[in-house]
Amino acid sequence: MILTLGMAALPSLRPVASLLAVLSVLFGADGEQLDEDAVLRLVEQARAGDRAARQRLYRQHVQRVFRTVRGMLRSDAEAEDATQDAMFAALTSLDRYSPRSGVRFAAWLTTIAVNTTRRRFRRRRLELTPTGELPDVVATDDDVGDDIDLAKQRAALLQALAELEPREREIVSLRYGSELNAAEIAKQLKLEPANVRKILERARVRLAERIEALVKSRGEPA
Amino acid sequence: MTDTEIERLWSALEPSTRRRARIETSVFEWLEAGEASLVGEWLGLLKVEPLTGFAYAAVGALSLVLLSPVGWILSALLR
Repeated sequence: MILTLGMAALPSLRPVASLLAVLSVLFGADGEQLDEDAVLRLVEQARAGDRAARQRLYRQHVQRVFRTVRGMLRSDAEAEDATQDAMFAALTSLDRYSPRSGVRFAAWLTTIAVNTTRRRFRRRRLELTPTGELPDVVATDDDVGDDIDLAKQRAALLQALAELEPREREIVSLRYGSELNAAEIAKQLKLEPANVRKILERARVRLAERIEALVKSRGEPA
Repeated sequence: MTDTEIERLWSALEPSTRRRARIETSVFEWLEAGEASLVGEWLGLLKVEPLTGFAYAAVGALSLVLLSPVGWILSALLR
């Protein structure tokens, strides 16, 4: 990592640094999901200045954050920026996290990610279309390509998400992207848990129907 | 489509390896930059490189040796 960062500082070595970063993500990723106690230990170690612990903490949560904000935003590029901002904000303010408040670390991190995403929405409010939907952003996605089925399912999910109300989109993103329960979502969005459950169920049904219709219209099995 | 199926489908939104690498590089570059001490950076700018110092001294001495006769000749010509 240090080598990668050092090389990133030299413009001529940037391609090498990028390659090292990709290799580091491929072979250094923390695939195993840690339980809450292990995550809290990492938080403590990271607070004490342990860089390896900070990196593990980052790798445990970065995909969850991306999945969540991607459900709310309209392009991968925006989700990438929001994830960077959220992860940086979280790692530089670990001292503010208190497990005593009863909030899981993942839920605390999601709050930061949602706030970052909302700031992006506010900046783009002038770009809203008359229907209240965000305008389509051309997907400059370098992700798609490896797995065509996955890309099709992904496209169907994104299209179905775009047709939901912003509040519904936010709630389903927190549920499926961050794997928060209704009570955690309610706390985060300052809503009643019963209200969250109602919105979630309605959005889930709409989302499922739309995805199935989209997949069927493309002649693909669900 | 069940809850579990949607959950599984949601994993399709995960970033690619390249995108993850880009995010990781940016975040850790920002963190490293934030941790670098300002005093350290200033000292780094001001620190004397032994080789550079030697090079300056050598060029200075050479200039004195070469320019002194030239100056002497020029002043003799102008007289």
